[in-house]
Amino acid sequence: MKKITASLGVAILATAVAACGSSAGSGQESGTVTLRVQGMPPATDKPGLAAFEKMVADFEKQNPGIAVEGSSAAYDPLTFSAKLAGGKVEDVIKVPLTEPQGLIARKQVKPLTAELAKWPHYKEFNPQVLRPLSDSGGEVYGVPQSPFAMGLVYNRELFEKAGLDPGKPPATWEEVRAHAKRIAEKTGKAGFVHESKNNQGGWQLTKLTYAFGGEMEKQSGDTWVAAFNAEPTRQALTLLKEMRWTDDSMGDNQLNDQNDVIKRFAAGEIGMYLGTPGTYRLAKMTYGMPNIDAFGIGPLPQAGGNATLTGGDVYMVPKSASAEKTAAAVKWLLFAYAQPQYDTGAAAERAKALAADPNAAVGVPTLPMFNEVRQAQIDEAVKPYVNVKLEHFQPWIEGTPKLQLRAEPPVRAQAVYAVLDSVVQAVLTDRDADVNTLLGKAEADVNAKLAASRQ
Amino acid sequence: MAFLFLVPAFVAFGVFSYWPMIRGLLISFQETNLVDPATWVGLDNFTALVRDPLLYTAIANTLLFVGLGLLIGFPAPLILATVMSTVRKGAGVYRFLVYLPVVIPPVVAILLWKWFYDPGHGLFNELLGLIGAGPLPWLESPRTAMLSLVIQSTWAWMGSTVLIYLAAMVTIPAELYEAAQMDGASIARRLWHITLPQLRPTIGLLLLLQLVSTTQVFTEPYVFTDGGPENSTLTILLLIFRYAFRDGAYGQAAALAFLLAIFLGLMSAIYLRATRTWGSA
Repeated sequence: MKKITASLGVAILATAVAACGSSAGSGQESGTVTLRVQGMPPATDKPGLAAFEKMVADFEKQNPGIAVEGSSAAYDPLTFSAKLAGGKVEDVIKVPLTEPQGLIARKQVKPLTAELAKWPHYKEFNPQVLRPLSDSGGEVYGVPQSPFAMGLVYNRELFEKAGLDPGKPPATWEEVRAHAKRIAEKTGKAGFVHESKNNQGGWQLTKLTYAFGGEMEKQSGDTWVAAFNAEPTRQALTLLKEMRWTDDSMGDNQLNDQNDVIKRFAAGEIGMYLGTPGTYRLAKMTYGMPNIDAFGIGPLPQAGGNATLTGGDVYMVPKSASAEKTAAAVKWLLFAYAQPQYDTGAAAERAKALAADPNAAVGVPTLPMFNEVRQAQIDEAVKPYVNVKLEHFQPWIEGTPKLQLRAEPPVRAQAVYAVLDSVVQAVLTDRDADVNTLLGKAEADVNAKLAASRQ
Repeated sequence: MAFLFLVPAFVAFGVFSYWPMIRGLLISFQETNLVDPATWVGLDNFTALVRDPLLYTAIANTLLFVGLGLLIGFPAPLILATVMSTVRKGAGVYRFLVYLPVVIPPVVAILLWKWFYDPGHGLFNELLGLIGAGPLPWLESPRTAMLSLVIQSTWAWMGSTVLIYLAAMVTIPAELYEAAQMDGASIARRLWHITLPQLRPTIGLLLLLQLVSTTQVFTEPYVFTDGGPENSTLTILLLIFRYAFRDGAYGQAAALAFLLAIFLGLMSAIYLRATRTWGSA
């Protein structure tokens, strides 16, 4: 009896384990590849969802043998690992541009160059928007949705209240400091807010470092080492320290990530922050900014670097996808995200569908996914449906092409950012913080991490 | 036959507890990206761990949280329960009020307290302003951030502990107090000579539970500060989380989790051994 019950127990356990491990969502009928893709708008965004469903139907018509199943999930570092380990991750994932380098380094995503190159216009892609999605050998791992360059987002209403010209955002960091001080004095709001947690303090300091003409990492022989313990980053941090403690123009709350900042910006609490035109969507659709026309954006202010950082969302294919699914996924990516930036007819149709919802943001400017001539044609085609005040983006549109577009630090960017979060936090929360000591310690920490990195 | 009744529990614990534990232990000796077959790397993950200066920051911070928790969070419910046990009228209302924070979901409570702690116009600084004190930076300074976390977590978890103490106090024979009263013992003496010795097993158990749970503090630093400012609230569990979910260093995360489990197991064993005689005293 004992033996029987024991074997019964083992059998039940084995069945349970097997049930947990079996693939529930493969949904593969004979001859049909079922592609599970992220990027589907949530049910609350009805016009967006309808447009997505139409896109799926059109795609399936053009590509018999591929069935697309949309998912409104996006890449979430909390669930991604578990889903990947369990074989449950979608075949196309939507990832913010801060993540691809880590995913590529850990070999969790698939190289796509061979499949992408089958598209006749592949060579026309703007190399600057593909660089953040590529490894050092030039292999490409994704397709961008809306490529952006970082700029300075500002509240036009607060500018007016402070007696500043909302049509002329600050172009240098000296002007940012003066504007922030004035906004704080005249309106009582935070003139400028710099992010400082969730690795975003380091991410923002990277933009500042580029604007001041610095580097985050440099190659030394075979290895990479920290390059930020130098004058540009030092000047950037000193500026932040003076704005925080001498001018008192950065408000009271210093532990913020991008969501905190956009939420407070939408509530009219912040004069300026570093972000992309894409944050307009978050301010309007996620945080319901009541006076969304107060949203203005200029190019990233400079202090000798003449450069900015790229940003936005990208689509990638996890390593778990089969070769067949990868080929189908690339077809979908080109159809859904590259084609509308290339084909004026597709662009106009997509914009028209989106514009049906007054809450949607149509016409938020992006960097050219291909070349500038092509982008001008696309802009012209979607013009009748644009519902954002393009003139409020004009300073960004005009100023950004004059800057060099730079990617994130090439090796273990997130680890570098994590170390620099502490540096930014120290400068913003400790009046006596010593910038030189902080940078020296951060350099040692980052070098230890880069040396330990098994790449 | 008895084994058959054990099967459901065995399956549940096996699938959801023991197997993940074994898997975690294996991963701590591997390098994996969770897709390709994992490679065995010996003690590399442990070596990387001890070389990370943040490990020592996290250990020191966790010990600080545990220590402050013992200093503030441990006596507070005991004192409160003692006071409440003497209340005759409206005892139910007090119990309800004390237990209320436990019912509020932790993240909601923390977000609420984030506003209390707001350095500009938060509740606490406004209150301090009324008496001409402050403002304090609360979460925004490495010097006060951890203390702020302990105060909130004491508030949040005190309710359950108070109820357990109250329940235990009911079991103390009333004759003991009556006899003491006849002998002219003050309230303090009754507390010291009757209540505390009678509660000793309960106090011991709650102390152990608190040690184990405060060593594993995660939600408070994660939601309040993300470990900042300047890593002053980075705890061991938050570091494990960062390794796994931000750096993708699953092996290193598993290695640290494994070490933490061993440490907690050892501490519990030592503690139980040291206090074995308490219950029978």
